[in-house]
Amino acid sequence: MEKIIVLTLLVISQVTSAQKYFTRTGVTEFKASVAAFEPVEASNKSTTVILKSDTGDIAAQSFINAFQFRVALMQEHFNENYMDSDTYPKATFRGKIQDFSLANINSGKKYPLKGMLTIRGKQKEINTTVSIQLKGDTIILKSEFKLNPNDFGIKIPSIVRKKIAKQINITLHYEMVEKK
Amino acid sequence: MRWLKKNKAIGIAVLLLTISFFIYQYTFRPNESIEDISPNYSGNSIDFISLATTNFDSWNTKVVQLTGEITALDKNGFTLNNKLFCQFKHEDDSSDVKANQTITIKGRVIGYDDLLEELKLNECIQLK
Repeated sequence: MEKIIVLTLLVISQVTSAQKYFTRTGVTEFKASVAAFEPVEASNKSTTVILKSDTGDIAAQSFINAFQFRVALMQEHFNENYMDSDTYPKATFRGKIQDFSLANINSGKKYPLKGMLTIRGKQKEINTTVSIQLKGDTIILKSEFKLNPNDFGIKIPSIVRKKIAKQINITLHYEMVEKK
Repeated sequence: MRWLKKNKAIGIAVLLLTISFFIYQYTFRPNESIEDISPNYSGNSIDFISLATTNFDSWNTKVVQLTGEITALDKNGFTLNNKLFCQFKHEDDSSDVKANQTITIKGRVIGYDDLLEELKLNECIQLK
């Protein structure tokens, strides 16, 4: 009897572990540019994302210091003055893609995504849509949404307020493969 | 000098231009390339992992030079000794390395990934 239970558990764990998709090198970008000023934008190509393909549960994590700017001084200010990345080294997201099922992914179909984003230790609920595509063995997830720096206690000094957009555009591009 | 006195305005303009040129250069300088940064740690990757385990966060943004074995490889990067993920600086670098190869790399620690339980490095380059 015990043997059967152990075996069943083993089989179950194998099956469930086979239903995870992941990437370590997902691209998360933000743009806070204002026309006529130096572009304020950066890209993080090292985002880790894990998607459970049977439930649509998703977890993502970005290191703040891995956001790369074209201008070094801007990156320095971003980390030290705005994001305080020594104290809060990462941004995390935990949520669920609604009605998600790997079996009927249609190219270009949009799914609602709901979850909790944590930046600088502050949480904010995110409601957006994601497009999901299956390309060979790769699940490609793309999304776009806006964030308000105030929600995360990010203070923008008045001297640069005109040069930084009030709302920050976030773009996600995650290409996930099955986790073995 | 006499010429400068005569053309004071030109002299001041040239001076101002030179100063603003250097200010501009400083303000808009690009990020320092990983090749030009001397590493904060240099040695064996297994030793580094046990050293870093005590306080992962203190290694964030530090440049390290490590020698270890490639235990997994994909097009974006590779894993050193099952515990350290190195993301390639250039996307086409994967053709130069093989699984199970012992390699020396330079990269920047970006943090401890608790979703996958591994230390993560980016901008990794192979040292020959």
